[in-house]
Amino acid sequence: MVSSASRLVLDLVARVGALADGETAQVPVLPGEEQVVAEWCSRTGNDFVEVRAGSAVVRRGRPPGTDEVLAELPPERRPGARLWLYTNFDCNLACDYCCSRSSPQAARRALGVEAIRRLVQDAAEARVSEVFLTGGEPFLLLDLDEIVAACTAYFPTTLLTNGMLFRGPRLDMLRRMSRDRLVPQISLDSATPERHDRHRGRGTWQRAVAGIRTALDEGFRVRVAATIPGDEMTSAEEETVFHVFLDDLGVLRADQIIRPVAQRGFAETGVALTVETLVPEITVTADGTYWHPVGAAHLDQLVTREIFPLDAAIEDVRRQFADHQRTMLGAARHFPCA
Amino acid sequence: MAEPLLVGAVAYTPNVVPIWEGIREYFAGTEAEMDFVLFSNYGRQVDALIDGTIDVAWNTNLAWVRTVLQTEGACRALAMRDTDLTFATVFVARAGSSLRDIGDLAGRRLALGSRDSAQAAILPVHFLHQAGLGEDDVELLRIDSDLGKHGDTGRSELDAIRAVLDEQADAAAIGVTTWEAIGRDELMPDALTEFWRSPMYCHCNFTALDALPAERSDPWVDHLLRMSWDDPEQRRILEMEGLRRWMRPNLDGYASLFEAVKQQEIPARW
Repeated sequence: MVSSASRLVLDLVARVGALADGETAQVPVLPGEEQVVAEWCSRTGNDFVEVRAGSAVVRRGRPPGTDEVLAELPPERRPGARLWLYTNFDCNLACDYCCSRSSPQAARRALGVEAIRRLVQDAAEARVSEVFLTGGEPFLLLDLDEIVAACTAYFPTTLLTNGMLFRGPRLDMLRRMSRDRLVPQISLDSATPERHDRHRGRGTWQRAVAGIRTALDEGFRVRVAATIPGDEMTSAEEETVFHVFLDDLGVLRADQIIRPVAQRGFAETGVALTVETLVPEITVTADGTYWHPVGAAHLDQLVTREIFPLDAAIEDVRRQFADHQRTMLGAARHFPCA
Repeated sequence: MAEPLLVGAVAYTPNVVPIWEGIREYFAGTEAEMDFVLFSNYGRQVDALIDGTIDVAWNTNLAWVRTVLQTEGACRALAMRDTDLTFATVFVARAGSSLRDIGDLAGRRLALGSRDSAQAAILPVHFLHQAGLGEDDVELLRIDSDLGKHGDTGRSELDAIRAVLDEQADAAAIGVTTWEAIGRDELMPDALTEFWRSPMYCHCNFTALDALPAERSDPWVDHLLRMSWDDPEQRRILEMEGLRRWMRPNLDGYASLFEAVKQQEIPARW
């Protein structure tokens, strides 16, 4: 008589061999035979998915490796290419859609210049190519010029700000920052005050526009980012007016960004973003390392409570992202319609 | 730019489609672009090569022999897999069997795969003859479950193994790739054992007629040989097609099959 394990191997060869790459077959197994399936898959380069209702589910072919999954993304968007640093969480504004729940009442939770120096040194060894500083409002920190210098020494750096604090010692800090390596990104939601002030506070539009002018006058290339709630999505005509307004200020078209609100932080509505659906951009805060800057106030995007070593967190996120992509790829291939 | 080279292959499993789509993509944008045509069996494919419907055929060893015979040698092999250079037939029996060598098959029953499979039918009979065993000495159980595919599906070889495990035959002749696929005698140590292995011979190759100008085939072959195991996307194609490197052909590796086809009077065309 033929042993059941022998029949199992022959069934595996016959059924999996008849599949296209990426398709799955179910092969009946008896309790205890899972090891045979695992060994056969290991030897033949196939993927033992699971045991379901007395059958081994085997996918033909080797699932793509982490590097193969990441190669599908442009190099500048691959996990680990961008490093976000939350310099602090307190803010002079209390925008109603703030993804990080920042406000004047929020605790500072500053990373600190020493930690940031060490992080960018680690980032340089971990193949990071670009740094983004955000908050809170970074210009509340009176050592921000030192923080920016630590970053621009290694990377092209973007500094997100509401642009409202460019006066006195804070203007002096701005003036000490690198024109070649730093791009201030100033938040402005509309070409006229109404929409912007509705979410950010009365009079904030006027001061943000003044901040854009100041940064431009100081010789910086300035990026402007508008955040638009889902129920207020702009018409093509409104967008054109906004772009023309920014053109007139002297902001390059490539530096004019319009993006929807994420359903994170204070925002009750907006684009739903999860670890499974979001290409990660490693984000370090005083509280730990997160998947993406929009999730830095949410435990579901917490990668680790540790902020060092950075390279381990990057590798962990790259691997997790590849796992999610493989799962989605498998589901897309195998979800039956009928 | 010249018309893309048209390459024929036999669709023995659905996996053939992504393999050839991947190979076509690999050639896209080069000076040797290609497209492919899939056939249901090797007879149709060789006909299409000879009548000029396709420029190149991805042929089994039997399809190569038949192309040579039908064209009276006016064809050439362009390239093959590294695994095609070291193909072999393996004779297997139940673990604990008294069979130790091919000569021990005298008076026994041997299960063979489809009769158009070089590795599981034609060459095993040839090796029996070389060992002094004729058809009166060994009872042959022929299992023609994938005729037309030249044994590519492996199905008839699995059926031959089942015949051994079900004690309908004393031994089975299978290709080394099937033996590897079932885990040799390591995954089924209490069930099967290898007791004889043939000398190595060649299996598939890319076949072109001599009428195909070298200036069309050479750039294609040169680019094919550059396919790299170290490139993740190219490696995926290589893994699916069962090789690590494309190689220049070694025609000496077909001598045993030419001899077997002649001795067994296998027709040049089915």
